[in-house]
Formats: sequence, structure tokens, C-alpha cells
Amino acid sequence: MSSQNKDSASSTGSSQEQQKPPQIEPIRLPTVEEMRGQDIWNNCAVRSVVSGVMGGGLGLFMGLFLGALDNPLMQEEMTGRQMFIYQAKQMGRRSWSSCKAFALMGLVFSAAECVVEKARAKHDTTNTVVAGCVTGGTISARGGPKAACAGCAGFAAFSVLIEKFLDRHA
Amino acid sequence: MAANKPSSALEKEQIFGMAEKEMEYRVELFNKLTQTCFSKCVENRYKEPELNMGENSCIDRCVSKYWQVTNLVGQLLGNNQGPM
Repeated sequence: MSSQNKDSASSTGSSQEQQKPPQIEPIRLPTVEEMRGQDIWNNCAVRSVVSGVMGGGLGLFMGLFLGALDNPLMQEEMTGRQMFIYQAKQMGRRSWSSCKAFALMGLVFSAAECVVEKARAKHDTTNTVVAGCVTGGTISARGGPKAACAGCAGFAAFSVLIEKFLDRHA
Repeated sequence: MAANKPSSALEKEQIFGMAEKEMEYRVELFNKLTQTCFSKCVENRYKEPELNMGENSCIDRCVSKYWQVTNLVGQLLGNNQGPM
């Protein structure tokens, strides 16, 4: 088939001789390592743990940044060194709690989406909606059923938006 | 059958013909299987070059069902043709 392509390319005109005819690659079946890698990545537990770790890292940096922005309450009484220690402790506390929250969010979302997609055997936005609803519900489960419903709806809408944005760009 | 090795050329030709038919049957089965499961499981709009998880699990189920049905139907046909 590649020879036919070359013939048609050369017959279109001698002025296009500088252009190389498009190379057709032969069909390449996946190797054993590629299949094993795909199997590992398709495993729900592995995927959710990796997502949780990534969410934790993101939460760490976000918490550091937001913790640095907060001002201490008692600004008059402390010396410079005390203010520095207080600021550092506050940043650490804030970043750790944010890290935990984001790690939990990533873990639950990824696990829910993986399980739902495997069960439905379809790649849709419904998977994202259900996973977002489960995540929002678990995060705001302490406020009662109404807060859980609101969290579910809000997080589902947010995750659908993020998915559409990522699909458009990548 | 006491004599196992095919002595005459006719028997060899028969066996060769059967092997050829078996090969054609296998190739057609594979082609139909891939065509059916591809049209069922993979969407028309390609967003990424690799199979995602939903498509993977769909293909697993499709192939397993197809294979099971093929074996079952083959068994039933074989059983029905024996006593005849």
C-alpha cells in the first residue's frame, strides 16, 4: 500500500518533488509490557491511590500558599521571631489539612469513576456526574442530608465543567 | 482404526482440505468477532488513540460472550449431526 501512495504522490506533479510522500506505518500490535502497563493502569485500586497521592500533593502546595496569606490575630504582642514561628506553624497546619482533604477528594472521585465506568462499560459524562456526586456527598456528609445533596450537585457540576475543559484542550 | 498414518494421496488431500476449511473458518470467526465487538464497543468519534477503561471492559465482555455462544452453538450442531 505504501508503494501505491508513492506512485500517486509522484504523479500529482513534478513541482511537488520536494514534498515527501506520507509514510504509512505498518500495524503494530501492543507488546506484552504495554499490555501489562495498561492492565495495571486500568486497575481501580491503583488508579485511585495514584489520584489520591496527586491530590495530596496539590493540596499541600495550595495549603502552603493559602496559609501564607493568612495574617496572625495578635500582631502587637509578638516579636519578629515569634511571628515567624507562628506563621510557619500556621502554614504547616493549613497545608496538612488541605492535603488530607484534597487527597480524600481525589481518591474518592477516581475510585467512583473507575468503578462506574467498568460496570457500565461505556465512556460517558454520566460516569463523571455520578463520581462527582459521590465525592461531593462524602465531603459534605457531616452537615446532614441537605448539605450532602447540595455538595453532590455542586461537585458534579464542577467536575463536568473541568472534564469538558480538559477535553477541549488536551 | 488400526492404520493411523495416511498412506494414500487421497487421504492426504482430504486431510489437507479439512485443515484448509478449518483455517478459513477460524479466520472468518476472528474477523467477524473483531468487527462485531468494534462496532458495538468503540464510539465513532475518536478522542484519544488508546482504548479507555469502559471500552476495554466492553470488549472483554463482548469477546467472552461471542466465544461462549460460538462454542455452545458448535456443540449443539455437532451433537445434532452425530446421531444423524
